[in-house]
Amino acid sequence: MTRTTAVLIALFAMIAAACVAFGAYFAYATLLNANRAAVEARFAITAQRIGATAELASGLGIALPAQQTLPDLLRREARIDTAIRAIDVADERGHVLFSSDPDRAGRDEPAHPADSVSRVMENDLEARIGRVIVHYDPVILAAGAEALAADLRFIAIPTLAAAALATIAVGLLLAASLRRSLRRAADPGSWPEPARAALASVDAAHAAVLKRDASPAGGRP
Amino acid sequence: MIGIGLRGGISAAIIVILCAALGMIAWGAQRAAVRTIVPTIVAKAESVGRSAAALVETAVEAGIPMEKLAGVPAYFEDLRSQNSELSEIRLTQGGTVLFQSGEREQPDWPQVRVPVAVEDGPSLGDIVIFIDPSIISEQVAAVLVDVAFIGVVALLIALELVALVVGARGVSVLAGVEARVRDLARGRLVRHEGADGDRLIAPIDRQLNALASRHAFARDEAERRGDARALATLDAVAAKTGLGSVHSVGNQAAAVVRPALFLFMLAEELTRPFLPRYVQSIAPASLPISPDVAISLPIVAFMAAVALCQLPFAALSERIGRRGGFMLGAGLAACGYVLSGLTGSYFVFLGARVLSAVGYALVFVSAQGHVVDRSAPSERAEGLAVFVRAIMVAALCGPPIGGVIGDRLGGNIAFLFSGGLAALALVLAGLSLPASQRRGGAHGLGLTDLKAAIQAPRLAALLFGCAFPAKFILAALCFYLIPVELQREGFSSAAVGRLQMIYPVIMVLGVPLFAALADRWSARAGFVAAGGTLAGAGALLVAFGTSPVILALVLALLGIGQAMSIAPQSALVADSARHVPGGHSAGVLGLFRLVERSGNAVGPAAAGFLLGSVGFVTSMMTVGGLVVFGAAAFILSGRVPARRDRGSPAAPEEASVP
Repeated sequence: MTRTTAVLIALFAMIAAACVAFGAYFAYATLLNANRAAVEARFAITAQRIGATAELASGLGIALPAQQTLPDLLRREARIDTAIRAIDVADERGHVLFSSDPDRAGRDEPAHPADSVSRVMENDLEARIGRVIVHYDPVILAAGAEALAADLRFIAIPTLAAAALATIAVGLLLAASLRRSLRRAADPGSWPEPARAALASVDAAHAAVLKRDASPAGGRP
Repeated sequence: MIGIGLRGGISAAIIVILCAALGMIAWGAQRAAVRTIVPTIVAKAESVGRSAAALVETAVEAGIPMEKLAGVPAYFEDLRSQNSELSEIRLTQGGTVLFQSGEREQPDWPQVRVPVAVEDGPSLGDIVIFIDPSIISEQVAAVLVDVAFIGVVALLIALELVALVVGARGVSVLAGVEARVRDLARGRLVRHEGADGDRLIAPIDRQLNALASRHAFARDEAERRGDARALATLDAVAAKTGLGSVHSVGNQAAAVVRPALFLFMLAEELTRPFLPRYVQSIAPASLPISPDVAISLPIVAFMAAVALCQLPFAALSERIGRRGGFMLGAGLAACGYVLSGLTGSYFVFLGARVLSAVGYALVFVSAQGHVVDRSAPSERAEGLAVFVRAIMVAALCGPPIGGVIGDRLGGNIAFLFSGGLAALALVLAGLSLPASQRRGGAHGLGLTDLKAAIQAPRLAALLFGCAFPAKFILAALCFYLIPVELQREGFSSAAVGRLQMIYPVIMVLGVPLFAALADRWSARAGFVAAGGTLAGAGALLVAFGTSPVILALVLALLGIGQAMSIAPQSALVADSARHVPGGHSAGVLGLFRLVERSGNAVGPAAAGFLLGSVGFVTSMMTVGGLVVFGAAAFILSGRVPARRDRGSPAAPEEASVP
């Protein structure tokens, strides 16, 4: 039983530790998503502002490719926030018409470029005319991720170790208690009170029958 | 401590320890959020301030004095409406406030100050933004709610792992020791089977066996003498102390299959939150069907294959044996998941999903068959409850985990992860399930059985008014419409997965409660009709908006409605089965399974078609309306008795799995 108990306690300690690690990792992933959302909300404001301007011009009859003041606006907006790498205005097929970085004009942008925030632009008929794409510096996310990881590691590693040790401690206490109970169970004199009472009632019933059996009136034929 | 035993005690201790540990992790997460996310929100306010200052600078450079600027309060108002954490925005010059929007409630709220200055010139003024800390706290609290969900999932997984260890054959000696000690502590002098000759147990067994022999001898003597009073005394003491009886170990069939089944079901549940997004990423634009139908097609194919395979596989699983059926099914599904993760082709992916569905159907019927085969009729309901609980816990844990894996590592890796879990379930089934007993004569259900079944009293209205719509709305809303809509609104797969937990949480808590109430009030038909109406009416809530709160409410009402109806519905089907003449009662259960699973298959197909044609809100309301109509038809069918007699508790051979 000692080996079984030891293996069982070790397994339970591992389960406790693994589940704390699981909880910590998934909490980290949740915080990472929240951090990304908070970071991207900042650039979404810029995308919103530029998109609204382009939609207004479009509503006045100026087609998106003809909005020649957009490059200046994009450069000005990109200068405002040092974390912005480039701002593109692409047509509905993803072809970059204007950009804060002149080298990017003429490129084709994928539907979901990495480290960027997009805002779709529509005309008055709610038909899609293009999108604004704000490319931001991924370092800003990496820095947040590193800080979150460090903070969570600081709390998760001791908690994990404590959970495993507490499980081992409780397991050892329970095992010792079980072993004591087992020793007592081998000797009816040390049985727990309810078992001793049950044994006494059984003994009394047996004694009554056997005594009657031994008496002349109840003697064997 | 003796009563609870080592295994029970350590399981309880793990719950307490993990609750405390996960509480610490939540505290750490809160600390991390405050240290990292709050500065990010402040940086956003600074960005807004810089942008506003740039606009003012442009106007000043154009020769407009700051105090003469037009539309500034409206612009500030617009910024505040887009960013709820900005409580007050001012444009100041010296100590004078030129323009202002909003008013902070406390003077010491955090503020951001951005100077307004023309190029290389002196500062002309400041844009001052005050941040409402309660909004930031709300945002952090929302993150913590997500972390709490993760804690619940971690705890549930821990309990499943504990159940796996506790149910292992290796700890049977320990179980024997605990059972003996526990019985003595309760004053029970019963004998125990098994663990013969074990060094630790033998002394206890010797005492109890000697006592039982002495009792048998005393009883024989009393009987021989014809001493009725002594016999009565001996029997009374035996009944009180359990002397002479043998401790029976409860049915273990469900406990044995539970860990493998949990892992297998977890593999499929992982895919729920990211599947629509993943399909969208591999569906070519050149497909001759709309994007919405293209997204729903793999879900439909999976559900349809499960529906069609279940009936023939019931016989196949009997022929090849339950363990063999489980292992073959898990192997097929694992291959399907791996292929789904590796292929970039939409059509190969479709084929891979069908392969996984074939495996899923085979595992399901084999696991259910294992429980039914190896339990007495009186133990069956309890066994099937354990079976259903494993599936529901997997449904609870799978989506949030799958969502995080999908977000962090990508859908293809998440599929490979599912493949790994299915393979693990295969190995576990091989190690834990008893050797297969093949039955050559198994032939399954034929068309004659189904035809006879449909004539069962009250069955058609129940199946087509309630059972089919129940699965139809579940698959349409939970697996397709709501994940697709949330994805369109920009929510991550992890957020979708957490929202998808609402339904199984309510089912786990509500099914036993409503089942008991329906039986106690003898109102099964009423619960079925009311549940269907509530589930369908919930979908109509989207008329008031499509925010995550309203969608959560829709899922909650769906869960409550289905928790009300699912167990009474199974019991009504069982009642119908009893009334089918000619031994076709199995046909009723087969038909029930077929109609239910067809609802699962038709749901996403109809939802995909509707979404592409009439949009999200109308699709939701159409699906909800159909379900309400079905429940009304069941009520009006004239076959709903006002008060039912107390019939069988539930379909004994059938597990109602949501």
